[in-house]
Amino acid sequence: MSAHALTTSFVAKFSGRLGFLGLTLIYALLVAACLGTLAREDELSLGRNPVANLVKTVGEFAHPSFLDVWFGNPKLEYKSDDGTVLRVENRQEVEADYLAGLGRATWTTIRIATLGSLLGALLALPLAVLTARNLAAPKPLAWLAKGILDVARSIHTLVFGLVLVGIVGLGPTAGILAIGLHSMGTYGKLFAEAIESLDMAAIDAVRSVGATPDQVFFNAIWPSVLPQFVSSHLYVWEFNIRDSTILGLIGAGGLGLLITEATSLFQWGRLSTVLIVIVLMVSAFDTVSRRIRQALS
Amino acid sequence: MNEISISLQKVCCIADGRALLDVGALTIRHGERIAIVGHNGAGKSTLLRLLTGFMPAAHGKVEVLGRNLADNPSAHELRTLRRNVGQIHQGLHLVARLSALENVLIGSLGRVVGWRSWVRHFPTAEIARAEAALHAVGLLARAKTRADKLSGGERQKVAIARLLVQQPKLILADEPTAALDPAAAGEVCHLLAQAARQAARHAALITVVHNPSLLPLLADRVIGLKNGRIAFDLPLAAVDDQKLTNLYRPDEAAPAAPWQLPESTRCSVFS
Repeated sequence: MSAHALTTSFVAKFSGRLGFLGLTLIYALLVAACLGTLAREDELSLGRNPVANLVKTVGEFAHPSFLDVWFGNPKLEYKSDDGTVLRVENRQEVEADYLAGLGRATWTTIRIATLGSLLGALLALPLAVLTARNLAAPKPLAWLAKGILDVARSIHTLVFGLVLVGIVGLGPTAGILAIGLHSMGTYGKLFAEAIESLDMAAIDAVRSVGATPDQVFFNAIWPSVLPQFVSSHLYVWEFNIRDSTILGLIGAGGLGLLITEATSLFQWGRLSTVLIVIVLMVSAFDTVSRRIRQALS
Repeated sequence: MNEISISLQKVCCIADGRALLDVGALTIRHGERIAIVGHNGAGKSTLLRLLTGFMPAAHGKVEVLGRNLADNPSAHELRTLRRNVGQIHQGLHLVARLSALENVLIGSLGRVVGWRSWVRHFPTAEIARAEAALHAVGLLARAKTRADKLSGGERQKVAIARLLVQQPKLILADEPTAALDPAAAGEVCHLLAQAARQAARHAALITVVHNPSLLPLLADRVIGLKNGRIAFDLPLAAVDDQKLTNLYRPDEAAPAAPWQLPESTRCSVFS
């Protein structure tokens, strides 16, 4: 038996386990390399007094700013070093104003997510029809559509947003377009899968009673794909509500702007308020959309 | 009563360079009950698809309900023909997300046109007819149930009700009992035969059958297909076990080509 044959049989017998072992080893080496190089560059430190900082930050987070609307000092005095009162501030009023601004920003975020999702869904629909394999669209068109969807899906919303802010300027329009372009990729994939899972036999059955193409569409295709379309739409919409909160970071308006503001001024109490609003909004939407999806299935 | 329903002359169906069906002459009259038997790939389903224009004939004369299907009929002509042909297939060909009643109403799409058929807003006369059809197959109580919640037997009965609503002049059934237990199979056959009797002008009933014990329920005349050709065409009484065994036995002289599936039934919305 030649050495070559020996190796082949050996590989055939052990390649599965050895291969996995090899991959594990490579992974371990990679982790070690990451840790080792960072340690050598002295970048693994946790700062000078992490515990105290942690306690301080957590303490400020634990006192969200909206509590001041009721419990804030109505006559907070700002004094100069020699004790003269510079300014008297009503904390309750200030925080009430902040909450009102937060409400407007939340509404902006919801508007960006809603319109962006709708835009993405509308753009994706024709592309999904072209990419669905069972509809057998002409090959070049199918490839083109798939290419557009893949590109849209692989570019992050934030990147789209940065580019679009440069084109259409600051504001919600850039956010809507960014959300729409990125989620078009996601919608396209989900819609195409819904179309591909169509029951062709049922479509043939409706055709076999002599139904016209429009009747086949409304009586066989539409009822079958609609629930899946709605379900995908709710899912991506919910995802976009989360995603659009971050778009304010690049000046597209909404909650992200307040996050940037709070973090750059180290106002952890206000950041805490904003995060609470985001969590409430996302979980409320999640509850509603889950109900709707259950009712549709 | 004895008008000609179907007439085939020198018909040949070709797919992928292979003859799927090669029939010299075949005449079927209104009111006849015919069973088609034969091995897998003998051309049974091809014959049924030929009769509704889903499969074109390479050459020959195909006349169904007075319409000649040989010279490239228009889509409109085919639709008019299909409205008069009730079909039941071996699969469960219902729209899963519509209710039993809505599936039955699909049989009336030939008579309901325009936006009404898009939003499934059917005239009351059609709804009454559909309910009567569901009653006839014993499923009126399940009218509001969605098709994917029905059992296999119930789905075939809904398909029969859909066919009743169509008021067909010809009924084609492709292994209607394939996935059913014997009791349900018997019931479905009984309902099919009844549907054929009740149809407007005594529709001919053509059924592809695999189970010989169902033949007496469905047919007076049995056509045996072998390798795309008619092996025998006899009254039910003349068909015995020997003939059926011969039919299903592979030919030593001309070994059957390995069976290929016909062109996949992809429906392109673009061509």
